Amino acid sequence: MGNIDSLIIENQSEITNAIDTVWVALCAALIFFMEGGFALLESGFVRSKNAMSIIAKVFIDIIFGGIIFYVVGFGIAYGSSNGWFAFDIGISQDDLGLGLTVSNQLFWFIQLGFAIAAISIVSGALAERMKLWSYTLLVIVFCGIMYPMVANWVWNPSGWLSTAGFNDFAGSAAVHAMGGFAALAAAMVLGPRLGKYQKNGKPNSIPGHNIPLAAIGCFILWFGWFGFNPGSTLGAVGNWDLIGKVVTNTFLASAAGGISTMIYTQFKYGLIDITMVINGVLAGLVSITAGCNVVDANSAIVIGLIAGVLVDVAVQLIDRMKIDDPVGAIAVHGVNGFFGAVAVGLFASENGLFNTGDFSFLIVQLKGVLVIAFFSFTFTYVVMQIMKKTIGVRISVEEERVGIDASSFGVESYSNFE
Amino acid sequence: MKKVEAIIRPSKLKAVQKGLKEVEIPCITVIPVSGSGLQKSYTKMYRGTEQSLALQNRTMIICVISDENLEKCIDVILEFGSDGEVGDGKIFIYDVKDAIRLSTKVRGDQAIL
Repeated sequence: MGNIDSLIIENQSEITNAIDTVWVALCAALIFFMEGGFALLESGFVRSKNAMSIIAKVFIDIIFGGIIFYVVGFGIAYGSSNGWFAFDIGISQDDLGLGLTVSNQLFWFIQLGFAIAAISIVSGALAERMKLWSYTLLVIVFCGIMYPMVANWVWNPSGWLSTAGFNDFAGSAAVHAMGGFAALAAAMVLGPRLGKYQKNGKPNSIPGHNIPLAAIGCFILWFGWFGFNPGSTLGAVGNWDLIGKVVTNTFLASAAGGISTMIYTQFKYGLIDITMVINGVLAGLVSITAGCNVVDANSAIVIGLIAGVLVDVAVQLIDRMKIDDPVGAIAVHGVNGFFGAVAVGLFASENGLFNTGDFSFLIVQLKGVLVIAFFSFTFTYVVMQIMKKTIGVRISVEEERVGIDASSFGVESYSNFE
Repeated sequence: MKKVEAIIRPSKLKAVQKGLKEVEIPCITVIPVSGSGLQKSYTKMYRGTEQSLALQNRTMIICVISDENLEKCIDVILEFGSDGEVGDGKIFIYDVKDAIRLSTKVRGDQAIL
């Protein structure tokens, strides 16, 4: 027993690598599980005739998105970058310049979780009306090129936003605003569901078929978020203090988002709207994702409270703008991802506007997220328009009436007898 | 032989079922239904947007009874199924041609005892 100290000293790097590997592998699995959350959340928010189609989309996100992220995506994101792009293929065995204490393969796997989370944001906004094979093509472009380019700018050590000092810890901008603005562009090209708008332009609500299912989806996403944010430390050794801070901030902001939505809907509609509370909690999570490593606990609560109101206002506004988003993905991820990145510039303890009175960091944050939102919107808009003109993006009116489950799978989610 | 279809508020089901059992009409079939009646002011909100053509949830009780049980059955439903307000529901009564019990193959009034 006496020589255990010398054993530890001799094998220090090996032990560090082992501990960090356990930590990152755990968080990567938690992030991967978030796909189950997306599937249930989106499924609960659509009508029962399309409940399975959204599950199919999340499968497509993982299986097609995951493979393409292996083949080209990861290389574009973390290869040797010129600031905007990298031309590597597969998983490089070279040092990526990130000071990793885990293998490149494990790093690829945790990054895969982020890539498929980003595209799963899009799937919800396109629910109930998109052709599945056209969606598959969008997934391939998104996880193969679009998302990796943004990840390159933000997280590759040579990326132009990374070198400019842009702080997006776990991806309010790179994952959520990116996915949210892609969802906005895609939903605009796709058009609203049949019956969503009356002839005079007034929106109709189309209630989701299973709110408890959507709530379970929210709880799974919430749970997974405790891998999403703390896992972005990419190692446990030397980070024990930071991990505690990140976990606390993540929870505080999400709870605050739920509180402000609950109070807002109680006053606005005279009733608590749980479907909005689901969105409010997620909005809090999205908005703290960028800054959970650099803001203090009080700021995390304030950020969450703002996000919870922002999401309610945005859902209403998007509805009035005749953009049909059945699950609120644009409001939750687009609007609050944008807000989250800006909030870092306002609330960061060391260089945020409210603590230093200096605008320079806020401007970096604002510029970064604006470029990401603009890039994601434009790229998706063009891809969707090209598909619309060629292979088509929208299912036929008849298919939409009977539901994608019956028309594409020949089976309903809930059979009537037995 | 008569068939009674009563559309009532879901919250009244237990009371009506108990009342029917007490007057010895234990055999009922219950279906969850939705529909619209005379409640003009009814609006349903979902995520801050009004739902057009929203339907109310109601429960339909179906019972097939002998002619002499009809008034008893109606009295129970009126007593336990109503608040005296718009939206309480309706009762429909039909003549039934025949009834057959699957287990014994008995027909007519014997089948609905």
